[in-house]
Amino acid sequence: MICENCKQRPAKVTVTQVHNGEHLERHYCEVCANSLHPFYVEYKQDPLSLHQLLSNWFSQTEQQPMQQKQQKNMIVCDECGWSIQRFLDEGKFGCANCYTSFRPQLPNVFKRLHNGNTTHIGKAPGALGEKIALKKRIDSIRSQMKEAIDTESFEEAAKLRDEVRDLESQLSTGGDRTDVN
Amino acid sequence: MSIEHFLDNSISSWMAGEGKHSDIVMSTRIRLARNLNGYRFPLAFTEDEAHKIDQSVSATLLDASDELQMKFSSIHIKDVSELSRQVLVEKHLISPKLANSPMTGSVLLSDDESVSVMVNEEDHIRIQCLFPGLQVQEAYDQADELDRVLDKELPYAFDEQFGYLTSCPTNTGTGLRASVMMHLPALTMTKQMNRIVTIISRLGMVVRGIYGEGSEALGNVYQVSNQTTLGKSEEDILADLQSITEQIIQKEREARDALLKHSANTLEDRLYRSLGTLSFARIMATDEAARCLSDVRLGIDMGLIEDIDVSILNECMVFMQPGFLQKYAGTSLNTSERDMFRAKLLRERLQKEEKQKAKGEESE
Repeated sequence: MICENCKQRPAKVTVTQVHNGEHLERHYCEVCANSLHPFYVEYKQDPLSLHQLLSNWFSQTEQQPMQQKQQKNMIVCDECGWSIQRFLDEGKFGCANCYTSFRPQLPNVFKRLHNGNTTHIGKAPGALGEKIALKKRIDSIRSQMKEAIDTESFEEAAKLRDEVRDLESQLSTGGDRTDVN
Repeated sequence: MSIEHFLDNSISSWMAGEGKHSDIVMSTRIRLARNLNGYRFPLAFTEDEAHKIDQSVSATLLDASDELQMKFSSIHIKDVSELSRQVLVEKHLISPKLANSPMTGSVLLSDDESVSVMVNEEDHIRIQCLFPGLQVQEAYDQADELDRVLDKELPYAFDEQFGYLTSCPTNTGTGLRASVMMHLPALTMTKQMNRIVTIISRLGMVVRGIYGEGSEALGNVYQVSNQTTLGKSEEDILADLQSITEQIIQKEREARDALLKHSANTLEDRLYRSLGTLSFARIMATDEAARCLSDVRLGIDMGLIEDIDVSILNECMVFMQPGFLQKYAGTSLNTSERDMFRAKLLRERLQKEEKQKAKGEESE
């Protein structure tokens, strides 16, 4: 078979085109197939901007009377002076205190941005962080202890139990540790 | 260390290191967003606030260099020329936002450029750690160490309900963005990327192109990162990224094998044509150059093209960007001049490989 396009070289590639539900088979040589149906596709997708997302959400869910809506949008952060409307327009907070000022409205925003989540899980700074890290360490030693009991290494298990007790007493005194490192 | 050190080479020294799966994963990046209590976020703060934040963050990091075993160079953005800022952006050492900020801001860079801390970008502090290949945990540990040092000295903005407070609500919570930069030519050629992008987005992750404007994936280089930062612990974010990346690596390897099996000749022809274009073309636009570089890199990774160093993709993707070209040319260039100069630099880069090869043969 000869290539349908250049009618010179032998056809080696079959391209199936779907046009109005009809399947068309085309037979091309490698050269024509490459030029007619390039190998390469680029990935293109317009990302929905955050600002768009936030304002879309706001206009969709706000079906309360106009007056009430305006009142709600008048909430202003006393630290930076930004209103909740400005937050929604810019898609950004003006300062850390905005989180406190707009707190009741935020779970709805976060739900949409973070897969339904509204509460932080994970690391925390300073003394709070130390407390969390301590709790994690206790949990991990506890599971080691269980393993030790399962394998009947009771001496090891007792050692770990004492360690847990030690750490727990630190936790109850508010993470006051003499060795800061 | 002077700023010239960071501007002269398109390739950062951390890139020379070996990482896991480095034939597909070019690098791993961890970013932590942090803000200080008592100051408004950069979108709303005054120059006075900006100055105070810059001073205290910079001083804290510079003082901690012994503890971190890392020397930092502090670069004030205002002291840097516009072209040099562009070069720093093209190396991903600073963001366009920081480069264009009218307020006082800085970047602190480690000597090997694997760590960059931006001050007064969108947030007061952006810690960024870059590692070669797939090293999600290693990069996070490094960022976490810096975070710990800063946390000891500076009061972070934190809320029990919402976690670390950031300027953008998409970063609230952990403030953690973990990403891997992947070269996925076979998945792109076999038209599987769109499907993968859709699946990944359902898992709370994002895929996008990393070079070029907008979402176009220049050079088949994609970035996969977590989208969710709230309600998910650091460990879970890292574990999910790790597992998704491993699955994409697997798919890319399968696609490469399939290409070899079903169209080895066509593939080899295409990859060598790209090598020919890079070696001889006189005019090269960015997208064509990126496509050819991606092909050559694929040829190297698949063992079809020999005697060219794998760093060619990483290095050339950086130096063929407008800022770098103009820095090398020592003058400003319009678009068509840039395309010619780009072609010239790429030719020279490949000739260098040829010479090294010839030298190697001589000494044998």
